[in-house]
Amino acid sequence: MVALVDPTTLIDILLIGLSGTLICLAVHFIPVGGAPAAMAQATGIGTGTVELAAGSGLVGLITSSYMYAHEPASSMVLIMAAGAMGSAIMLASTMLAGGLIYAYGVAVPFASAQVKRDPITRQRQDTYISKGTQGQGIPTICFVSGVVGAALGGAGGGLIYFVLMGYYTPLIAATSAAAVAGVFTMGVFYVNSVIPSYGVGGTIEGVHDPKFRRVVPKDVVTSVIVSMLCGVVAILIAGGMTP
Amino acid sequence: MSDIKEISPTNLMLFGIIGGLIGIYISPYFPTAGALGAICAVIWGAEAVRRVAKYGLGTGVPSIGQIALGMGVIAAMFGLAIVKPLPIAGPIVALITASVIGFVIGWFAQHVIKMKIPVMIRCMTEIAAAGALIIIGYSAAVGGNYDFVRNLIPRVFDTGVMLAVFWVGAMAMLHPFNACLGPDEKQKRLLYLAGSTGAITMVIMGVAALMTLGVSGVITLALGIILWVIFYKKFWDEVYSDAASVVGTGLIPKTEA
Repeated sequence: MVALVDPTTLIDILLIGLSGTLICLAVHFIPVGGAPAAMAQATGIGTGTVELAAGSGLVGLITSSYMYAHEPASSMVLIMAAGAMGSAIMLASTMLAGGLIYAYGVAVPFASAQVKRDPITRQRQDTYISKGTQGQGIPTICFVSGVVGAALGGAGGGLIYFVLMGYYTPLIAATSAAAVAGVFTMGVFYVNSVIPSYGVGGTIEGVHDPKFRRVVPKDVVTSVIVSMLCGVVAILIAGGMTP
Repeated sequence: MSDIKEISPTNLMLFGIIGGLIGIYISPYFPTAGALGAICAVIWGAEAVRRVAKYGLGTGVPSIGQIALGMGVIAAMFGLAIVKPLPIAGPIVALITASVIGFVIGWFAQHVIKMKIPVMIRCMTEIAAAGALIIIGYSAAVGGNYDFVRNLIPRVFDTGVMLAVFWVGAMAMLHPFNACLGPDEKQKRLLYLAGSTGAITMVIMGVAALMTLGVSGVITLALGIILWVIFYKKFWDEVYSDAASVVGTGLIPKTEA
């Protein structure tokens, strides 16, 4: 049985709590437009929060586990960076493909409904918004915010995977440990991407959205506690796998 | 729609828990029973999703199916792994753990995120518990037992079948309400659809069990197909009888008045 009050174990539980929080934060950065965005009537990518966060996060999990499999001695920071890269590339390519369709297929000018000027390009937004819509497409600030968010999520996924592999690898075969740690990470990922999506109510434009400041604190509190609960559970599972 | 008699949530909960646990406990002798138990849990979970998603979550029905199986898989792994000296307690410990995780998340969703859905806590607890039973039930049908280290890890986790259990299980639970929602939604129709999605998941688990268990996979596969045909026919009949009351309104007038 693993002692839960051991300082190393406590730090690992905190790390899992931190990674859950990173995933939760990531969801707030990603410009999620939901069904209205799919009809180019709101700013953001036209699908749900969970799909985007989990989609990019799971790619991050694949890249970080690839890193771990080929360089087991690599440091935690490298594993997290590998996850961040994978996620960011995944979401950037999603937004690029979506942007091409919005620009050349649907033919809408990219404009944010939440700010008067784009904080990065300083260009006017409000004059380009079609009547009766909440903005269209993926403006520069949303794109940048999305890439940052995906990187946070991927780093979070990589962190949980790294911590869990440290517990499971000595107990069972390496491939089995990877499978168990991967499935557990996926479970934590889904829990932590759905909680903030309830907080934001389905749609958010990114870091510049006024909603961001309003909902981040309470979502983060929820996520920290739930993820730490998951961390305790994950470490106790290791106790059940001792030969 | 209050004139239509509905099965009470408590009865469906008992059906899901008892049916699910019986199925899981018979699975070491007859692996197909695990999938049958999971179908009971799917029906229960679909009803719980229906009650909570009726309020409008703002994120679509799929999100709640995914969080359910996310909580379920964590609790299932914990419950089955932690009780090494007494494996028979595994599914019950998993059920309780899932309920606790679901309760905590439901409490936070209600009181910290302030979602203002009165049934949130109860339904979150129920769907998490149903999620855990779905995961254990279908995994047992593929692994031949619910022993975590000896059966589930080599047969379900290493082979990657777990991802199918996770995703198709989530689909089985969230699809019925996602497909039936709307002003004319009825519990009976939804439950038949839940049975059919549960059965089609069982078919997929049958294919996976052919790989891991051999002959008993054929039973899961065949029984799954039979159950799917039965439940889908029932659902089809319900759709027809409900659609019978829709009156034709004619074509849209060519010129505006």
